[in-house]
Amino acid sequence: MTKSFGPVVALRDVNLTLRKGEVLGLLGDNGAGKSTLMKIICGFEKPDGGSMTLRGEPYEPRSVDHARALGIDAVYQDLALIDELSVFHNMFLRRELVHRPLPLLANRAMRAQTRAALDEIGIDIPNINAPVARLSGGQRQAIAVARTVHSEADILLLDEPLAAMGAKEGARILDLIARLKETGEVSIIMVLHNYVHVLASCDRVNLIQDGVIAFDKPTAETSIEELTELVVSEYRRARMAA
Amino acid sequence: MQVETATETPRTSAPPQRRERPARRGVLARLLTLREGSVIVITVLVAAYFAATTDAFLSWDNFKTLLPYFAPFAILAAGEVMLMINGEIDLSIGAVYLFAPFMFHEFHVAGLPLLVALALALGMCLLVGLVNGFFTTVVRINSFITTLGMLLALTGFTLIISDAQPVQTPGTDVLGGQTAFTRIFGGGTYSELIWALAIVALLQVVLSFTRWGIYTVAVGSNRIGAAEAGIKVRLVIIRNFVVCALCAGLVGVLEAVRTTSVQPDPSGANEVLFGGIAAAVIGGTLLAGGSGTVVGALIGALLLGLLNDGLVITGVNADYLNFYLGLAIILAMAANTYVGRARKGQTGG
Repeated sequence: MTKSFGPVVALRDVNLTLRKGEVLGLLGDNGAGKSTLMKIICGFEKPDGGSMTLRGEPYEPRSVDHARALGIDAVYQDLALIDELSVFHNMFLRRELVHRPLPLLANRAMRAQTRAALDEIGIDIPNINAPVARLSGGQRQAIAVARTVHSEADILLLDEPLAAMGAKEGARILDLIARLKETGEVSIIMVLHNYVHVLASCDRVNLIQDGVIAFDKPTAETSIEELTELVVSEYRRARMAA
Repeated sequence: MQVETATETPRTSAPPQRRERPARRGVLARLLTLREGSVIVITVLVAAYFAATTDAFLSWDNFKTLLPYFAPFAILAAGEVMLMINGEIDLSIGAVYLFAPFMFHEFHVAGLPLLVALALALGMCLLVGLVNGFFTTVVRINSFITTLGMLLALTGFTLIISDAQPVQTPGTDVLGGQTAFTRIFGGGTYSELIWALAIVALLQVVLSFTRWGIYTVAVGSNRIGAAEAGIKVRLVIIRNFVVCALCAGLVGVLEAVRTTSVQPDPSGANEVLFGGIAAAVIGGTLLAGGSGTVVGALIGALLLGLLNDGLVITGVNADYLNFYLGLAIILAMAANTYVGRARKGQTGG
């Protein structure tokens, strides 16, 4: 798959496979194209070339809604939260419950489900009526993750889901991912920077370099040292070139 | 024999404590937690001032005098608020206000019944909203520029089709005789007030209790995030442009029926524009988008109407009226901002 933004080539020839029930860790330098790849898979960006297959069928998402209807949902790096809206409206953004046949929002039901979903993950957000602007970075990220997990998608794309979190909140999210994995129903691609997290929660790890997948191994067959060495050698090459 | 016991997996953590809101607070404090709170306080103060300083202010007759200074602007501002929450602005509402009754006249002169002519005239306004929305979201011209162009083009078009001559509003009688049509569409004493209250109530419900409203706030607050979540940003904005244009067109027709004739007067149209936007902003809607209230716009329009009417009653020289009105708007807005800050518990900027 390829993707360019004007003269900037983000993805040159990416070949990525996600198996059912697998948690795939995606690594790469800043600007390597991880987020672009995620946005293509979830239907937000269109690829310039290449093809995707979903459950054996050709997969060409027309929109985020379309991808979601096919069971693919994403947590974006920027979280896609609406500061002015309440926690529970954010949780249900684009999936709002309404009092059919009236087009009025079923706020009470959304509040109850939001509370249940957050309690299940174990994230403490005292007031779900408050706008998300008032929350901490970790809480905001937890809501974005909870929203996607709660969407009943079976392919989850998580772009740095732990970036703004403290150790405790991060551990809760990793617990949640482990629980999802146990069900065997959910497949996950996670962009991560912390190799400990990668080895602890992923089945396999891929590394994007220069717009291609340069490394692909099961986490059982690699180590923090090997992953570190890969990145350090890339850094050395970059310095030589500069 | 083995006995299987079903064990429930323990929850990962105890449910977090919920902080309840403080149960009882003073009426004023509770009022100020409303987004409209500050403008309500300022409006009450202004009304109290005029009531205390003049005899004629607190009378039913004066309330009726006040209505045309207030109701049309409430409708205009209600539509504008929806668009301003999107982070866009429509400067063509004055031009649409001018254009709609002339289209109404043209369609009626062409032999169509009153209601059909009215519907078609509003249909033309809808088209204007679509064009504004198209150039803003698809061609991606800033809405300030798009609608500034529309303001000039539509005002010019109105002058062309009217030959710069005033016309009598279809269905009206110069002597002021009322029919069912005129009584409903602006001619009745409370007609415009009822339209204003109904439209404000409807749009506030749309804003607070429907997906449309949620998406409107989302697009104004975080456009990229809204798109990432799958919201069709263009559709939301275009829809609100249409609402805004329809409100403006309806007000144009209501006012034309009330006054029984229309002048193709661009300067009057511009005053309508300024009044509509001022009411929206005074009502607490941010020019930057993401936040606003339709009810606030109604109260903003009421405040403008009260100032206008109160200054006239006080006997201010006509030459001074706009001068005082302008100062009053800035003062009211400053007070509004100050009270708003107090509401959020901030002491300084």
